[in-house]
Amino acid sequence: MERKVRTSTLLLCLLPGVGYLLVLFGLPLARVVYGSFTSTAPDETGLGLSTWQALFANPVYMDGLWFSLWLGIAPTLLSLAISLPLSALMQANEGSQKLFGTLYKIPLVVPGIVAGFLVLIVLDRGGMASRLATPLGLSIPRLVRDDLGLGAIIASAWKTVPFMTLIIAGAMAAISKDVLAAARTLGATQLTILWRIQLPLAQPGITAAILLSFIGSLGSYVIPSLLGPAYPLPLSVHMFAEGFQKGNWPMVYAMGTLLSIMAVAVLLAYYAIIGSLGRSKPGAA
Amino acid sequence: MLASVSIRRLTKQFGPNRVLKGIDLEIPPGRLVVLLGPSGCGKTTLLRTIAGISDPTDGGIWLGERRIDDVPPEKRNFGLVFQTYALFPHLTVARNVSFGLEMRRVGKAEMARRVAAALELVGLGEYAERLPRQLSGGQQQRVALARAIVIEPDVLLFDEPLSNLDAKLRDSLREDLRALQQKLGITSIYVTHDQSEAMALGDEIVVMKDGEIVERGAPIELYRRPTYRFTAEFLGMTNVVEAEIDAGSCRLPWGDVRPLENPDARNVEGVAIRPEDLLIEPVESGGHGTIEQSMFMGAATHYWINAAGRTFRSIASGGGSAILPKGQQVRLVPPGRLHLLQRHVAASGSAA
Amino acid sequence: MAKGHTARGQRLVGLALYGYLALTLFFPVAIVALWAFYDPAVGWFPPDIIPRSFSISAWQEVLADRHILPAAGISLMVSIIVTAATGALAFPTAWALAQFPFRLKRMVEVFVLAPIIVPGIVVAVSLGELFFRFGLAGTIAGVIIVQIVGTLPFMIRILTATLEGIPNELIYAARTLGASPFVAVTRIALPLAWPGFAAGGLLTFIASFEEFEKSFMVGAPKVRTLATQLWSYLGGEALVLPTAAVVTFILLVPMLLIFVLAERLSKDDVMAAGLGKL
Repeated sequence: MERKVRTSTLLLCLLPGVGYLLVLFGLPLARVVYGSFTSTAPDETGLGLSTWQALFANPVYMDGLWFSLWLGIAPTLLSLAISLPLSALMQANEGSQKLFGTLYKIPLVVPGIVAGFLVLIVLDRGGMASRLATPLGLSIPRLVRDDLGLGAIIASAWKTVPFMTLIIAGAMAAISKDVLAAARTLGATQLTILWRIQLPLAQPGITAAILLSFIGSLGSYVIPSLLGPAYPLPLSVHMFAEGFQKGNWPMVYAMGTLLSIMAVAVLLAYYAIIGSLGRSKPGAA
Repeated sequence: MLASVSIRRLTKQFGPNRVLKGIDLEIPPGRLVVLLGPSGCGKTTLLRTIAGISDPTDGGIWLGERRIDDVPPEKRNFGLVFQTYALFPHLTVARNVSFGLEMRRVGKAEMARRVAAALELVGLGEYAERLPRQLSGGQQQRVALARAIVIEPDVLLFDEPLSNLDAKLRDSLREDLRALQQKLGITSIYVTHDQSEAMALGDEIVVMKDGEIVERGAPIELYRRPTYRFTAEFLGMTNVVEAEIDAGSCRLPWGDVRPLENPDARNVEGVAIRPEDLLIEPVESGGHGTIEQSMFMGAATHYWINAAGRTFRSIASGGGSAILPKGQQVRLVPPGRLHLLQRHVAASGSAA
Repeated sequence: MAKGHTARGQRLVGLALYGYLALTLFFPVAIVALWAFYDPAVGWFPPDIIPRSFSISAWQEVLADRHILPAAGISLMVSIIVTAATGALAFPTAWALAQFPFRLKRMVEVFVLAPIIVPGIVVAVSLGELFFRFGLAGTIAGVIIVQIVGTLPFMIRILTATLEGIPNELIYAARTLGASPFVAVTRIALPLAWPGFAAGGLLTFIASFEEFEKSFMVGAPKVRTLATQLWSYLGGEALVLPTAAVVTFILLVPMLLIFVLAERLSKDDVMAAGLGKL
């Protein structure tokens, strides 16, 4: 039984949070999208597609677009590969959960710049990794300012792993212990349990974690600037250059809108997979 | 395969807590043995150790001749039915039931056949494609049962399976469980804290307290002739009366004398008189005591009688006679022979 | 005859978990420490694995830098204000989402989510130019305002998850005992929502303290937070390693302390519940 609430009360409650976001996020975002249809060319007033055309026609920017996507996807996959076993292992070990549970989250607290810095001092040429490897006769491949942005990917993943683990381990912890015990007595090995029981039941947490991490890495600026190659540069870096150096704000808006569209597209794909549009609580098991 | 389960010196310790204190137990093949006791007595821990979900600190478990306590749970071939049903929420009823068969790599055709048969057995043949959340509690538990028996386990383990169900459902499922176990003849170990459930279901009841076995026996034996006071008070209701023993007979507080069934008992703690065995007769005067309170329960009426400075409980069955009023004087009629109760001394030294 | 297989398994798992930590956390942090204390006069070049000599000159240099301590102060102040403001703004909205059924709820939920879906840099850019026109660029107020846009969605989600866990009956009980709706919410629900505030507040404070893109876009060059200041040591013209290492320490150590202490209070399941579904 839920009592009806007065509309005025409802609006009053929603006003601080939603209102704030409407004014300081919604409207400016609308302005950005609008602005992408304007142009700095002196003979073009009013709306048009010239900025967009300039964006798509420019191979430097298009390479930047693909690189942004790459910098969004690769760290997410790497984090997932680490975070899933980590979450599963955390369920298995009761004892040290408290201490480990605090320590593993530390990268959450560390700014992106510091993460980049850490990768720099460990994995760069002359960094600790190569100094340790040389006496052993091994050599570390180039990981900073390399063409694939591996150093940037590692740094992003380093920051993303605790975030994903927090969500995924939380989702796994919500699974009833009896269900896991039942699977064991029916003959399932730990690996089978992970694959057939824990992972399916940890949805939609896992997908949410993947989504949030992709978006975070997609728009990151600092880590690619610090560790990434000189070419291509991701769109986020181009945005800063276009804005602060060239003052071509419509181009900045177009790039921003494009990045947003990509993020929203991934969100919609998520909803399609989960099938939750229209329901308040996505079908958590 | 009809297998017996043997447990020798099983001990389980959680830090400073000794939850199981050296249990010795034999479960005969094909029988349903109930582990009964108050919460914290260790019955669930014992069951989980037998299942392999929990590791014992000491002692061993044998299935027939084979020692199994080093065998991981997925290899023990025991069926486990949980209080919380523990169905896989994301799988249909059919996939839930077939899960154990999948793990055993049973072929598709045979799997389908066995799943259908198991679901028929529990009366849920129509529900194969439903999801657990679409089923009621009783139906979910039936699915859990089907899932446990379809793998043809050597032993069936039940962890308070009826506790989450409401009273009527509990009764009907209880009958079905009993019928199923007898039909299939699988050795079964059943944990409960509900004594009426224990008596209804068990071929044998093992009474536990504080990590030890107090006594074991057929339900009727334990009910009518319990060795220990703890058992008498846990199984059903009883009046425990101080016994003035004299040459094989006992003198009750209100004057009656009766011979004893077991005059050689040691560590005597009193005499047990079941309320249904303590009859009362209303009298005009000269009675043993008066009625303090009455409670009409349908098939029987419960009375509390104040006699010889104490309160005794009596149950009068049959709906015909009128309910005796408060203050009515009554004469107490004890049974023909009385049974002495002993004090159970735990191996650790504390008295029960 | 203590049984092995579960105990052995547990030990292996523990080893794997702490091995992971050692590689990804202890090892890098140890190296930062070495960089913060090496002697720049002597240098620390390959193939040396440990510096040949140590000194604290980098620290002296950093602390002498007139920008560092004010930046630290600004970061702290901004983070505290952002956390408080976010909590205050989020609570009523979270309450409405948790307790009131209404038709457009799903739409509101998705809208609240939007600022985290849209990449942070786009949010920064959208406000950056706007603030410039209104004279808020390069002000602390501007930085605070823009950071809240990023922290509010998380706080709302976490608080909503917490408040959903408070049974309606408690509020009804308070009402039947004579409390007005406002009193019932503030005296009963608010205290019970403490785990959500703790978890969300911690997350917000940390996110604000380490935030870079928005603070840079809106605040630079006049407003220097510790994070943007670190950027000038790392991303500027020349990479100044020892100074960067020292500033990293200054950034990290108090944060870690706050974090570890506050972790004792906060609840994981609340955070996971708030973030684990979209």
